[in-house]
Amino acid sequence: MARDLEAFNGLSAVGVSRRFGAVHAVAGMDLRAPAGEVTALIGPNGAGKTTLLLILASLLAPDTGTVRIMGVDPSKDPSAARARIGWMPDTLGVWDSLTAREILTLMGRFYRLPKAAIAGRVTELLDLVNLADLADQHARVLSRGQQQRLSLARALIHDPDVLLLDEPASGLDPGSRVALRHILRGLAAQGKAVVVSSHVLAELDEIADRAVFVNAGRSVLAQSVEQAAAQGRRYAISALDPATLPAELARLGVQFESGSGRRGSVTVMVGTERDSAQLLADLVRAGVAVTAFAPAAGALEETYMSMDVEQR
Amino acid sequence: MSTEVEGPGPTPGTTDAGRHAGGLGAYWEGISAVVALEVRQRLRSRGWYILLAIWVVVIGFVTALTWSSWKVQVQAQGDFGVVAPGAAGQAPGSLIFEIVLAFVLLFGLLVAPAFSANAVNGDRAGGTLAILQVTLLRPGQILWGKFLASWLAGLAFLVVSIPFLLFGFLQGGLGMGHILVALLMMAVELGVVCAIGVGISALASRPLFSIVVTYLVVAALGVGTLIAFGLGSLVSQGTVQANQAYYKNTYVQEGSGGSDPAPGYPEMPSGITDQNNDYACYGPLTEQQAVRSDRVAWLLGMNPFVVVADAIPYPDRSTQGSYSQGVFESISQGARYVQAGPDATYQCAGGKITPLYLGQKAPLWPLGLGLQLALTAGILALGWRALRTPAGRLPKGTRVA
Repeated sequence: MARDLEAFNGLSAVGVSRRFGAVHAVAGMDLRAPAGEVTALIGPNGAGKTTLLLILASLLAPDTGTVRIMGVDPSKDPSAARARIGWMPDTLGVWDSLTAREILTLMGRFYRLPKAAIAGRVTELLDLVNLADLADQHARVLSRGQQQRLSLARALIHDPDVLLLDEPASGLDPGSRVALRHILRGLAAQGKAVVVSSHVLAELDEIADRAVFVNAGRSVLAQSVEQAAAQGRRYAISALDPATLPAELARLGVQFESGSGRRGSVTVMVGTERDSAQLLADLVRAGVAVTAFAPAAGALEETYMSMDVEQR
Repeated sequence: MSTEVEGPGPTPGTTDAGRHAGGLGAYWEGISAVVALEVRQRLRSRGWYILLAIWVVVIGFVTALTWSSWKVQVQAQGDFGVVAPGAAGQAPGSLIFEIVLAFVLLFGLLVAPAFSANAVNGDRAGGTLAILQVTLLRPGQILWGKFLASWLAGLAFLVVSIPFLLFGFLQGGLGMGHILVALLMMAVELGVVCAIGVGISALASRPLFSIVVTYLVVAALGVGTLIAFGLGSLVSQGTVQANQAYYKNTYVQEGSGGSDPAPGYPEMPSGITDQNNDYACYGPLTEQQAVRSDRVAWLLGMNPFVVVADAIPYPDRSTQGSYSQGVFESISQGARYVQAGPDATYQCAGGKITPLYLGQKAPLWPLGLGLQLALTAGILALGWRALRTPAGRLPKGTRVA
């Protein structure tokens, strides 16, 4: 199994556990994040996501289990592992009195980048996260979202193979979220293994290729977004005339419940995307003036809600 | 945010050459990057400048007060027509210098913990320590960088007090070597306190706690060593081989000692082993009770004031038979008396005359400074252990990030 881990191209953790005193923050988690894909780490507050990311980032030693970063064991050779890891913490931790450019330049020195290359790399990253205009402002005047983007640039300074992002989307405005999605997809396209922990499930469908669900310190389920989409999901449907829609659904023999939204929509459970297309076609053919027909929740959110997680 | 992702950037030590080359040079480069980070932050905090300004005002006030009090004293002596011995040639320089020196050292010891003892756990609380730890920096580089930065901040305080020390120097009465050694030793003492502060801040989880503990360590060095030495002397009673002292200029009253000795100066006793102008040692050596201060002198030696005072070179006064002058020289002499112990300082110990002034042969400060450095190294080593990652055990109540 060890050889299997060494050979795995990406980030892998097997049977990782870590306790703080009596608290088992992580009690047996498995995670595989292949290179070239975005892996989402999903779970409720206190599930152990941040602790797992700290272990993966080589900051915490696991009590049991093995971690391999592109085949490197961080407990044996932390330097080699760290040269390949980019870590963006959930606490922002910026040096208030330094400018964005200074912070990135110093990070370049901490990662022992060649001196001549640092200035160019910093400018490149400032452009990437759209902070070029604010590059010479003290970090304390940056908004939370801007600091978040600076933190992302900081994690990318040494062009890591593995990117660990702890709640990267929190505090970002919609425009920045879209940009973050593009950046992460771009990094995955370059062949990097990207791990994203997030609560914002709706947009993970767009970003992530696969997801690992964790709860109470354990990894509960690992599935790809395709698998999640194939397991059936709820669709919210509304029509111009609220009365015809339930009648037609009843005639088609589709189970439905009244939606919780304002506009009298109904929710139905649909097995596959093919089924949903068929249902829409049936409704339209029957003359129902359908105004909205969309998944009630993201595919991963559907899984998450069905897991019936307990919150700590 | 722009949406396109740039191609691969410069790659850090991923190549073996990048990671293993350099050795000491690469290690130092990491330290200097941490120093750059720390110093830049300090230079941009207003509190530091305020502290510096208060410092200048206080030291200036002390200097002015010392100088004017000396003027008043000289004037009073002039009014009464009394010329104190040596006053004609005695400049106020050494007085001003020593008082300013004592204040700079005292205040230096007081401010150094304030900007060193939150260096590591302050970052931990702010979430920025883990940012450093996750890079290629090694724990030693973080610790060294933080120590050097806080020491530099401490040295700034020393530098701004140089004009006042120079003022004392210009008033005369002191050699340049005196001042340079004093400054050097004060810089070393500030470094010791800063290193202790940084080490403790790596060990304790809360900045407030580590600052208080560092102050307690400074108090233990400054005051605790005196108390410990005093108590230690009480319990280190011992004996010394000595014979009798005979004072030559003692005038014996008529009839005081029976009828035999004639009035006037008594005869010298027989069996004199050693003598000077004042007294002679005579008779057989007997065991006498004495405080073995040499056994506890190391406690006194750890006092920062003793280290600084004892390291300053003073002119050799043993040939002139004169007493030491000035506070610091007296401290140095006192320390050497204590260190020499009763074998050298008890009257007629070993049948020898006790010298009035101990030469510079046996300084106490290397021992004291050595002990201070050993303590500092121990604390820093523990701090280094606490900074290692991947972290095994964490101090209670701390988060990695």
